[in-house]
Amino acid sequence: MQCQSESQSYYSSASRVVGVGGGGGNGSSEPMEAVLRLASSSAVVVFSVSTCCMCHAVKRLFSGMGVSPTVHEIDRDPKGKEIEKALARLLGGSSAVPVVFIGGKLIGAMDRVMASHINGTLVPLLKEAGALWL
Amino acid sequence: MLHHSNTSSFINHEVSDFDFGELEEAIVLQGVKLNNNNHEIKQTLYSTVKPAATLEMFPSWPIRFQQRGSSKSGEESTDSGRSPMNTLSSTRLETESESPISRKASPEQQAAAAAAAFDYKHHHLQPLQRLRQVEMASGSDSPGTGISQATHATATATAKQTPDKRRRGPGSNSEKVLDAKTLRRLAQNREAARKSRIRKKAYVQQLESSRIRLSQLEQDLQRARSQGLFLGGGVANGNISSGGAVFDMEYARWVDDDHGHMTELRTALQSHLSDGDLRVIVDGYITHYDEIFRLRGVAAKSDVFHLITGMWATAVERCFLWMGGFRPSDLIKMLISQLDPLTEQQLVGIYGLQQSTQQAEEALSQGLDQLHQSLLDAIANSSLNDSMHHMVVALGKISNLEGFVRQADNLRQQTLHQLRRVLTVRQAARCFVVIGEYYGRLRALSSLWASRPRESLMTDNNGEMTPGMQMLQPSHQINQFSHF
Repeated sequence: MQCQSESQSYYSSASRVVGVGGGGGNGSSEPMEAVLRLASSSAVVVFSVSTCCMCHAVKRLFSGMGVSPTVHEIDRDPKGKEIEKALARLLGGSSAVPVVFIGGKLIGAMDRVMASHINGTLVPLLKEAGALWL
Repeated sequence: MLHHSNTSSFINHEVSDFDFGELEEAIVLQGVKLNNNNHEIKQTLYSTVKPAATLEMFPSWPIRFQQRGSSKSGEESTDSGRSPMNTLSSTRLETESESPISRKASPEQQAAAAAAAFDYKHHHLQPLQRLRQVEMASGSDSPGTGISQATHATATATAKQTPDKRRRGPGSNSEKVLDAKTLRRLAQNREAARKSRIRKKAYVQQLESSRIRLSQLEQDLQRARSQGLFLGGGVANGNISSGGAVFDMEYARWVDDDHGHMTELRTALQSHLSDGDLRVIVDGYITHYDEIFRLRGVAAKSDVFHLITGMWATAVERCFLWMGGFRPSDLIKMLISQLDPLTEQQLVGIYGLQQSTQQAEEALSQGLDQLHQSLLDAIANSSLNDSMHHMVVALGKISNLEGFVRQADNLRQQTLHQLRRVLTVRQAARCFVVIGEYYGRLRALSSLWASRPRESLMTDNNGEMTPGMQMLQPSHQINQFSHF
């Protein structure tokens, strides 16, 4: 729920930019909106490219833990390029995929996911989001 | 006459001057018994086994000589019955030339050499005896009988009866007088023999020293490679990249620093520092590891293959490398037994760390497998037209390798940090000492293996060499070489 408000505020700020500037247009907000909407749609969301091997690794990590994430292959999405740009912006300029959301909240790219698993914070997040039981 | 000259000339070709000269000299000089001569006689007599055998193949005279050879005493009595001095001298010569053989040869060789020498001798001595008889006879008897004896001598003369010898004539009355030509010939033969021996010895020595040098070079090369410091050309194509070379130097310095940190940690533990002081040292060790991961990140950008194929590592490490470095779950597994005592919470933390590292490793390994498969697919399924495109795709996939090495290093770094969090300061200090010693021993294995003695098969039932046995190896090896 906290995530929802965050995304809403982001959305409103984005639309404000659109409203004032007139430039950029709806294109810049829609992908981000789409991303965030997708991110909240299920407990674990992974944005991936079907041919990306690191994306494959993160998928294997979750399935190895008994988690079934929702995967969006952005290379199969007609708006994929824009989603990719939005994701890159979220991550701060590094590569766009894979990106992981848990409970609608941005976790990050592969290194963040790994680090959170090693330091023991990933499992509680998964449990909290309802992706893991026990 | 023609027949005899033919055989004698043929025989002169068969047997080298070297062989002939030595034996002839010994016979002529009659008891000049230097050790060299005996040795040479032995050598020549050994080497004349074959020539003598081939000589016996010729039907013209061997039959007669074999008969002669079988009845030694009888022959002598018939041939030189008239001059007792000849008999004595001939027997003395026979014993002289035979004794070196009998002393040094095996029974079979002895018999063969003796037989050969016997035949050989008779090829020599008969003519000589005849000559002496001729000389004696010519001195005392009428020319008629002398001539007949001379012809008889030449008729029965065999090997080595050179014209020079026959024409010795009246000038040389005593057996010990040698004319200039004979002397010169003997000296030449001696010289040729000596030169040949020297050449052979030099060649063998050269071979030996080259062999030893080659084995030493191979050992040095292997040792240097195992230490990962072979900057000149450690890889298959013989070239190391500049990024790789730079990392190797930095890594070597890091290993040195590691020894320093180890010493510091051990001293700190033994001297029972306060937790605050110990924490500083422990955190310093964490920073030390952060540094190598940073250096590896730089190296991965410039030469990922240098890292991932372990060219920086020792041979044993390289063999069991995972994604260009150590496997974090192996480290935890090694530590679990050595970190006692742990609280309940700590145990949960450590086992949780073991599980999460295993899961993360598995995920990365599967990702790398997929990279491998897609790379092979990219270069396999290329038609002639767009092969370039597929190569570009493949190159793009290779660029992902850096990402995997980076993730693996990230995993290693996070594991060490988490260890630090789960353990107390003192436990962490002990833990890092264990880790440092563990990898130190692992690194040492390769150089120990490279410098192990090669000839040894002295292992116990488990196939392990005890240190005591190891000490014995070098002397065993040296003994083997001393035979040469």
